[in-house]
Amino acid sequence: MTSLIAFLIAFPIVVGTILLLITRASIRNPIVLVASAAIAAASVATVVTFGNGDGVFFGLPGGIVPGQALLAAEIAITALIVVIGLMNRRILAPIMAIAQLAIALFLEVTGRMPEADPQRLFWFDRLSMVMILVIGLIGTLICVNAIGYMHDYHRSNPMIKGRRNVFFSILFIFLAGMFGLVVSNYLPMMLVFWEITTVCSFLLIGYTRTPETIGYAFKALNMNLLGGLGFGLAIALLADQHLGLDFAKLMAGPASGTLLAAVALLAFAGITKSAQMPFSSWLIGAMYAPSPTSALLHSSTMVKAGVFLLLRLSPAMSGSTVGYLVTFVGLGTFLFVSLVAVTEQNTKKVLAYSTIGSLGLIVGCAGIGTPELAWVGVMIIIFHALAKGLLFLVVGTIENRLYTKDMENFDTLLSRLPRVSVLALAGIAGMFIAPFGIVVAKWAAIRAFLLVPGGQGAVMILIMAFGSSLTLFYWGKLLIKVLSMRSISDYERSIERRISRYEWFTEGALAVGVIAVTASIGLISDRVVGPYALSAFAAGPQTFLNIEPAMLVVMLAAVLFLPLLAVWASTRKFDAADFYTSGRSANASHVMGAALGGSKSVTLRNYYLEGVINGAMMFRVGTLACGAILIAMVTVGMVVR
Amino acid sequence: MTPAVYGVLFVFLAPVFGGLLAGVDRRVSARMQGRIGPPLLQPFYDLGKLLQKQARQVNPVVEPLLLGHVFFMAVSGVLLLSGTDLIFIAFVFALAALFLVLAAGSVNSPYSFAGAERELVVLLASEPFFILMMAAICKVTGASTYAGVLASPQLVAVQLPGVLLAFLLVATIKLRKSPFDISTSHHPHQELVSGLTTDMSGRMLAYVELAHWYESALLCAFMVLLFNWSVPLGLLAFAIAYALEVLVDNSTSRAKWQLVLRSTWAATLVFSGGNVLALFLLSR
Repeated sequence: MTSLIAFLIAFPIVVGTILLLITRASIRNPIVLVASAAIAAASVATVVTFGNGDGVFFGLPGGIVPGQALLAAEIAITALIVVIGLMNRRILAPIMAIAQLAIALFLEVTGRMPEADPQRLFWFDRLSMVMILVIGLIGTLICVNAIGYMHDYHRSNPMIKGRRNVFFSILFIFLAGMFGLVVSNYLPMMLVFWEITTVCSFLLIGYTRTPETIGYAFKALNMNLLGGLGFGLAIALLADQHLGLDFAKLMAGPASGTLLAAVALLAFAGITKSAQMPFSSWLIGAMYAPSPTSALLHSSTMVKAGVFLLLRLSPAMSGSTVGYLVTFVGLGTFLFVSLVAVTEQNTKKVLAYSTIGSLGLIVGCAGIGTPELAWVGVMIIIFHALAKGLLFLVVGTIENRLYTKDMENFDTLLSRLPRVSVLALAGIAGMFIAPFGIVVAKWAAIRAFLLVPGGQGAVMILIMAFGSSLTLFYWGKLLIKVLSMRSISDYERSIERRISRYEWFTEGALAVGVIAVTASIGLISDRVVGPYALSAFAAGPQTFLNIEPAMLVVMLAAVLFLPLLAVWASTRKFDAADFYTSGRSANASHVMGAALGGSKSVTLRNYYLEGVINGAMMFRVGTLACGAILIAMVTVGMVVR
Repeated sequence: MTPAVYGVLFVFLAPVFGGLLAGVDRRVSARMQGRIGPPLLQPFYDLGKLLQKQARQVNPVVEPLLLGHVFFMAVSGVLLLSGTDLIFIAFVFALAALFLVLAAGSVNSPYSFAGAERELVVLLASEPFFILMMAAICKVTGASTYAGVLASPQLVAVQLPGVLLAFLLVATIKLRKSPFDISTSHHPHQELVSGLTTDMSGRMLAYVELAHWYESALLCAFMVLLFNWSVPLGLLAFAIAYALEVLVDNSTSRAKWQLVLRSTWAATLVFSGGNVLALFLLSR
C-alpha cells in the first residue's frame, strides 16, 4: 500500500521531468502511453490492495517525516510563481504566494508547527479510493488523448509555438499533485499538493502564451492562490490553538469554536478551487486552453480537488451555520450558472457552466453534512468525471475537424461525423438524460433537502426545481443539433477518417465507462459510496436510495437509447426529403425559393431566451449574491465560533 | 391487486382513457362553437387511419425517437402506479417529453424546428412545477409512492392550494391548450402551420397522438395525487379542471413564448413556491 501510493506520487513526477527534456514526438508518444498505462495499473492495484475497508492510516517506510522537505517544496513553488509573475509584470500572484510562504516560515521558525505523526501521514478510505480511480483512469486517458489532439491542434493553429514537451510534462506532474492531495492526512503536506495543482493548472491554461490566455491563466492563479492563502491561514489557526494538523481527527464530527473557524477557511479554499461563484470566471477563462486541459481541469483534477476537500469537511460542517452558508454558495452557483448556460452559444462554455453547476450541487450537498447528501456528492463526482471528461474530449475532436466550437455549427453532426456523434450522445446521456447518473443524484438531493427543517429547506428545493429544468433546456438544444440529419457529400464523409486512434480509443473507453457505471450504480452505491458515507458520519446502517430493478432497466434504456439509435441511423442509407416551407420551393440542402425567382438559404437557430434571461447580468448577480454569502460564511466562522 | 398490476393496466387502459377524453373534448369544443361535433370514438378512428397511411420518413431517427417518446410516456405511468419514487417520476416524465422535441428538431426544417424549440421552452416552463409538486406532495404526506399518498389520511389539495392553482395553469401547457399550445398549433390560427408535427405523417402522427393520450392519463393520475382521499374524487376534480381548460382553449388566442415562460415561472414561484415555503415553515 505504502509503496503503491509512493509510486503514484513519485512516478508521474519522474515521467514529467523526463518528458520535459524530450522534444521529439516519436520518442515522447510511447513514453506517454507506457507511463499512462503504468499509472492506471498502479491506481487499480492500490484499490485492489486496499480491498474495501474503512479508513487506514500509514506513513513512509522507516517513519520518515517530510518536515523540511515540505518547506523546501513550498519555497520552490513560491519562487516559481514570483519569477513567472515578475516576468509577466504581474504583482498580485507573487504577493499572495510570498504571504503564504511567510505564514509557513513563521510557524516553522517560532516552533509552532506541529510535527506530523509518522504513522498517520496518509489517509486512505473509500473516498480516496474513488478519487484515485478517477485520477488514475480518467486522468491518464486524457493524457493519451492529448497525443492525438495536440498533434492536430498545432497543425490547425500554426501560429502557436509548439511546446508539447512542457505540456505533457505538466499533465503528469498535475496527476502526481492530485494523487498526493487525495491521500494526505497531514494538512501542510496536503497544502503543498494543493499548490502544485494550482501552479500546474496555471501553466496549462497559459500554454499558448497569447495575451488572452496569459490573462486567464493569471486570473486562475490569483483566485486559487487566494484559496491557498485561506488554507494556509486555517493551518496557522489550528497550529496556534494546538489543535493539531491531523486531518482525519479534525474532521471526525461537528466542529465548533476555533476548529469551525478553520473549517470555514478551508471551505473557502475548496470553493475557490471548485470554481464556485464568485470565483467561477477562472474556469470559464480556462476554456480557451487546448481541450485536454479543459477535460483534465473539469473532470478528474483541479475542480474535483475542491469538492473533495469540501466533502472531507462535510462531517465538521454538519448542522452549523457555516455549513448552511456553504450550501447556499453551491446551490446559488448551480442556479445562476444554469441561467447563464441557456444563453450561451459556445459549446465549450456551455460545458464549463454545466461543470460549475454540477460542482455547485456537490458543494450544496457537502455543506449540509448528512450521510445521504455525502452519498449524493460522491455519486456526482463519479458520473460527472466520466461524462464530462468524455464530452470535453469529443468537443475537442469536433473542433479540430470542423474548426468551430459554436453549438449552432454542430447541426447535422450525426450525418457528418456519425461515430463522433455516438460518443457525444453517450456523454450527453451520461450528463443529463433524465433517469441517469446526475439525475439520480438530483433526485436523491431533493429527497434529502426535504428533510432540512425550516425555510432554507424550501429554498433549496425551489433552486433544485428551477436549476434542473434549465439544464434540460441547454442539453436539449445541443441534442437537437447533434441528432439532426442531412445528406452529405463524399468529401464530408471523409473528414471523420482523419481522427487519430488515440482519440478513438480514449473517447470510446470513456463512453463504455459511462454505460458500465450506470449499469452498476446499485453495486457502486452498496459497496463503495454507501459505506463511505456511513463511516464518514459514524452513522448506523441504512440504505440510501431504493433503486429497484425496474428503475435500473429504465435508466439503462434511457442512456443506451440515443447512442444506439445513432449507431443504427448512421449505417442507414439516407436520402434527405424536402421539407415543408408553406409551399415555397425548398430543397433539403436548406435553400428555398425567394421572391422574384431568387433563392435564400435557410438557417435554423436555437433559442437563447433573449429578452427573458440576460446571461451576463445573471453572471454578475450570481457573483454578487454568492460572494456576499461567502463573506458571511467566513465571517460567521471567524466571529461566531 | 398489487401495484405492479396497476402499472401493467396503465399500459392498456391509459390510451383508452386518453382517446375518450379527446373525443369528449372535441364534442364539447364543437358545442361551444355551435357545431355538433364528431362521434365520441372519432379519435380512435383517426388513429387507426393514421396507422394505415403511408408514412414518409424524413430521416432515419424520427421514427425511433417518436417510439421512444411513446415508450417513456407509458413507462412514466407504469412506474408511477407501480410504486416508484414520485420525485423520480418527475424526471422520467420530462425525459419522455424531451423525445418529442428531439424527433421534431432532428427533421431540420423551419416549421418543425421552430415547433421543437417552442416545445423545449414549454418544457423549461413546466418542469420546475412538476418537480415542486412531487416534492410538496411527499412533504405533506410523508410518503414517497403513489399508493403511499393515496393511503395518507391528509387531503393533499387542502394543504397545497397554491400548487393546485399552478397545476391548472401548467396543465394548459401539457394538455396543449390555447393560449399555451405554442409548439403544436392545433387550432385554426395557424401561425406555425402545425408546429412540431409539420413534417410528420401517417403512423408518425399516430405515435404523437398515442403519447399524448398517455400524457393526459398521467396528468389525471397527478390530479388524483392531489385529491388523494379517493380515486373518484380525483377523477371528478380532473373533469372540472379539464372543462375549464376547454373553455379557456376556446376563448383565448395563442400567447408568445416569452409570455408562456414568464407567466408559468411566476405562477410556479409565487403559488407553488409560496405554498412549499409555508409548508416548511409551519412543519417546524
